[in-house]
Parts: sequence; C-alpha cells; structure tokens
Amino acid sequence: MPKLIKNGEIIENTYQWLQDAEQEVSPNSIVAAQKWLSEKDTIGNIAGIWLEAGDGIEFLEDIDVNQFDIIGVHFPAFTDGRGFSYARLLRERLGYKGEIRALGHFIPDQLGYLLRVGFNSFQFSDTVDLEKALLLHKPFSITYQGDVADPRPLFLRR
Amino acid sequence: MYQYDVIDQQLVEERVAQFRDQTRRYLNQELSEQEFLPLRLQNGLYVQRYAPMLRIAIPYGMLSSAQLRKLADISCRYDRSYGHFSTRQNLQLNWPKIEDVPDILAELAEVQMHAVQTSGNCIRNTTTDQYAGVISDEIVDPRPYCELIRQWSTFHPEFAFLPRKFKIAVNATESADRAATQVHDIGLHIKKNAAGEIGFKVIVGGGLGRTPMVGVTISEFIPRADLLTYLDAIIRVYNQQGRRDNKYKARIKILVKALGIEEFRNRVEAEWTHLRGKESTVPMSEFDRLASFFSEPAYETLTDQPSSLTSKLTDSAGFARWYERNTFTHKKAGYRIVTLTLKKAGQAPGDATAEQMQKAADLADKFSFGELRVSHEQNLVLADVRQEQLVELWDAAKEAGFATPTLGLLTDMICCPGGDFCALANAKSIPIAAQIQDTFSDLDYLYDLGNIDLNISGCMNACGHHHVGNIGILGVDKKGEEFYQISIGGASGHDASIGKILGPSFAQEEISNVIQKLMNVYVEKRSEEERFIDTYRRVGITPFKEAAYAKAN
Repeated sequence: MPKLIKNGEIIENTYQWLQDAEQEVSPNSIVAAQKWLSEKDTIGNIAGIWLEAGDGIEFLEDIDVNQFDIIGVHFPAFTDGRGFSYARLLRERLGYKGEIRALGHFIPDQLGYLLRVGFNSFQFSDTVDLEKALLLHKPFSITYQGDVADPRPLFLRR
Repeated sequence: MYQYDVIDQQLVEERVAQFRDQTRRYLNQELSEQEFLPLRLQNGLYVQRYAPMLRIAIPYGMLSSAQLRKLADISCRYDRSYGHFSTRQNLQLNWPKIEDVPDILAELAEVQMHAVQTSGNCIRNTTTDQYAGVISDEIVDPRPYCELIRQWSTFHPEFAFLPRKFKIAVNATESADRAATQVHDIGLHIKKNAAGEIGFKVIVGGGLGRTPMVGVTISEFIPRADLLTYLDAIIRVYNQQGRRDNKYKARIKILVKALGIEEFRNRVEAEWTHLRGKESTVPMSEFDRLASFFSEPAYETLTDQPSSLTSKLTDSAGFARWYERNTFTHKKAGYRIVTLTLKKAGQAPGDATAEQMQKAADLADKFSFGELRVSHEQNLVLADVRQEQLVELWDAAKEAGFATPTLGLLTDMICCPGGDFCALANAKSIPIAAQIQDTFSDLDYLYDLGNIDLNISGCMNACGHHHVGNIGILGVDKKGEEFYQISIGGASGHDASIGKILGPSFAQEEISNVIQKLMNVYVEKRSEEERFIDTYRRVGITPFKEAAYAKAN
C-alpha cells in the first residue's frame, strides 16, 4: 500500500479506503459514511468512515464519533473547500479525537490550511513526492485566526 | 494609518517566500498549470490577454506616500511605467513577468504591502469609503474595523477555497455609501444602537456579474464584539452549501436567493450559536489597539474660507469649478478633502503613470500628512488639505493631470481595462470611455447635467460595475464583432438598484450619440435640480428608449 503523511511523518498506510460500495469490508476499512449509515448494525468491525463533499457533518451529531479510529474527508477537487469546514466541525463541534485523513484530490501546497482545520493525515495521489510535500507542512510560523490547535486569535496572543 | 508590527511583517515575508517557492516549482514544472492557478490567483497573479496581471492590495484604500512611490518605482522597473487603480481599491500592473513577481512581492513587503487574496475564490481585499475618518457625519471611523477584517480574512484556514470569490465592503455614514456595499457578498453598515453601542447592519448576497442583485439585510444589528464570529457563521454556511457545480451560480447571492433570506438567516443563526461568545469574540482592547493607528493627524486650529481661498473663488472660474466638483467638506474647520482625478481625456480611467504616482506622493507629503486614499471611482484622494493651500495644490494638480474638474459627472466614469488588456473581455471599454470624454468635453454642459454615474464593462463579469451605473455600458460579442448594450437606472449607494437594459445593442461608433440622446431626454423631462437617476425613476424607461432608437428623419 502507498505511504502517507501522518502527524508530520511519512509512514506505512495500514487502512484501506473503500471507494467502491461493493468492496469487501474488513477491520482496516474506511467505509463511505452513507454506506456505514445504512448498514451500521450489520457492517461489523471497521476502522472508520469517510465523508464525501456534500455529506455535511450534521448526521454525525447524535453519534459517538470517537468510536471511529479514523474519519476520512474526500476532496473531489483540490479547489473544493467543503472538507476544510468538515474537519474543523469534526474537531470543534463533535469533539472528534481520532485521525482525520485527507483523501482524493488535494495538493501539498494546501497542507498549511489542512493542518489548521484539524487534518492530521494525508493520503496524497501517487505522483506526489512525500519528502517534498513534508517541506510544505508549515508555510507560516504565525497566524491571525484561531484554529483547531489553538482557538485563540492573535489578538488574544499578542 | 495601520503600521505593521513584527508579526504582520513576518507574515508577509513568509508569504513572499512561499510564493517564490511556488513560482519556482511552477517554472520547473513541478506544479502543473492547474495546480498553480489558484495559488497564483490568491496572490493576485492573473494570466491575461497579452501578459500576466498582478493585482496589488490597497487595504481599505489607504496608501502612504512612501508606498505610492514604491508602486511607481516597481511599475518602472518591472512593468511599463504605469498602473491601473481598480474599483476595489487595488492597483493592477498589466505587464509583469511571472518570474519577476516574487521579487515584486518582496519589494512590496518592504513598504508593508502585498497581493494576498486580491483574486481567487477566497475573501478578497476589504473596501470602504475613501473619505473615512475625515467626514463629519460618520458614525465612527470604519478603518479599524476594516483592518480587523483584513487580519481575520488573511490566510483564514477554513475559507481559502470557497465556491467563488468573496467581497466585503464597509460603510459608516447615513448620508452616502461610497463603497457600494449593497452590491457586495457582504455589506457592513456601522451603526450605533439606542444604548450607544457600536455594531453592524449586515447585508448579504449582493453582487454584479451575470446575475446582478442588490443585497438583503440578514441582521439589523450585530454588536461589534461579535462581528468575526458572525462573519465566520455566514461564510461557513456558504462554504458548505454554496453551489459548486456551476461557476456562474456559485456566489453567495445565488444561495441566499435559492433558500430565501429567512431560511438562510436561520442557518446562519444555527451556526452562530456554536461560535458566539467563543474565542473569536473581539475584546475592547483590540478595538482600542486598532483605533490607535487611525488617530487624527496633527491638525492645526484653522478657520473655514481663508481669504486666499475666497478671493481665488471669485477671481478664477476654473478654480471655482475645481473647488466645487473635486473637493469635499472636511470635519475640521479650515481643511478640505481633495480628489485627484484620474480621468483626464486621453488617459484610460483609473490609469496613472509612474510619474503621476510620484507626483501624487509628493502632493500627499506637501499637502496631506503624507497619506492618500484610493476611491471606488478609480481616483486618488488627499484627505487633509488646508484650505489656504488649495490654490497652490490646484496649480500642482493641473500640471500633473489630476485636476480634471469632473468628479461625479458623466465623464468621471468607472471603466474596466476591457479587451485591450483582459482575456475575459468580449469588447474594448477604454475606446468607449475616450469617445464619451471627447464628445462631452464642454464643462458647462457637463455641470448642467450634474451628477451622473456612467460605468463601462467589457464583459458580463462586470468589473466596471455597469449594472449600477445610472448609465451602464456593457461590451458584448456578436459573431466576432464588438457591440455595446446600454442600461439605465442603476445606482450603487444607499438607494442601490440594478439598471434596466434599454434594448438592442449598439455599434461602437454610435455610443456617444446614444448617450447624447439620453441626455437630451433628461434635460427635457427633468424638473429643477432633479438628478438624472431621479428623473429616470419618475418618468421610466420609455422616453429614453424611444429617443435612443428613434430613426433619424
């Protein structure tokens, strides 16, 4: 399986992102949220779910999200910023503590923003050089707004 | 004006370094065209018809003379010795080389300037009244609030990839809205409530382009401490629910229209309940800190109408005209606000040569505490001129081509760069502006016509804001030929409205003739002192339409 970046390191990927609803589910699977929702009583042990852009997070509001080791967020295009709000809401509103993984079409130059809204793992496309991507991890040493790591805006930190 | 501290400075320098690396990787083909596109746009870099275009932010229109000199210098060394001031308080360079842009940004950072988020699907440069802080009837100076919004929107981690561009404008006076707030994604009107507390009336979903709309009020009063959490709530709803399937239906105005303001408001309120009162609530200490940068300059105690002014007003009709049109009442006795117009015949509206920029910087140093503003109507403003210096300033402004005494008149038009520069344009707009300037060169006649906003756009994207011109001209393409559609009845102030299209479009050479016919109808139908827009609103479109399309007999 291709490697990925997690918590600032390049590591082996141990989870399987199931994009096809027909694929067989295992304890390592990251299952589409809609599939999980309709089969949750029968689906058995899985690693977590992934959100499609457009899913929103409202349907998770009454669910213990910390039952999942991982929640993936799919970017259908790197210019589709819905996933940025989803990650932030998973962390700040739903109190999700596990791994949030960016999936699909996003680019290393977005890492600075993705980290700030709560993503901590990144499954890039095969063409991305992960060593080079790591260099783009933290483009700015300071920020004006609060974020998931520190909710205080700069005016509370100056 | 606002001065960067070490943190602000470090951030723009880190941005320059980031963009230098992105540009290097693009030129090395490590970043594809498609990947580089939104990255360069968020740094104001377009690829235009003939060359790249770099849009430099002038946050809420404030410029120091040192900054303007730097812009002049950059335009000489990296471009063709001129720049174009846009309607949203930016300066555009039309001919930079992509490989030079990181160096240009590094030089801008030396004078606390940047091109951050001047384009792309993110929160753009916030704009406001060019007379902010110097007019007597404003509720409070809006600039500290604009700076607060600037910082909040800069590299906002959640909102860098919105469905579409996002523009915010702020106004703080009841008597006028010089920032066209009602045709922005969010318009903010600073208010004081009955208890004397400062807050904002929030207008959402205005905008021009293909589907022009006047915004609607989402809240009558948001206390200032809650401004950022409320903005976060609005934009979070938009980011998740705005359309992304069709770029022409992706602006927030389409979402607001589709849901209806009640439902949109409910969703924003639901979001806001989670955010209100949390860390992004702005403490008074921060308002005080920001306001301290916009304290009054060292005004002298003076009286209005010094004798040097009154005698010149009597002696020189030319000076009196300029004084009447291009200067504006100041809150302090003995001072006057002066607009340096960039609408000289033969020069594209909003364009300034490097020499003019240098000259304007000199005038700012000599006459206005070293500061200038850039206006929505694409002019420069010296906000703090002593009345006893007006004659001297007038002479200097004439020499530099800044004294065309037509502010607010038919020939003080807003005009986009059009097909001469822009890859999006369907038609040229600068030659139309030139044609109208040539035809309507008689000052007495222009004065008799009075205030008329004429706005010209070279395409549907409406950079020239043609929809909200009292007269709007839109370039259209018909089988490879350039034609122009004319609309009337638009307005961008507190009485904002979208103009109505007169009828079939006209050939380029007919435009000034058509405008002349519209003016004839106005002169015939108006009652005394009635503005063009008011006559139109009273008599309707029909007489204008009939005159414009009447066959010559």
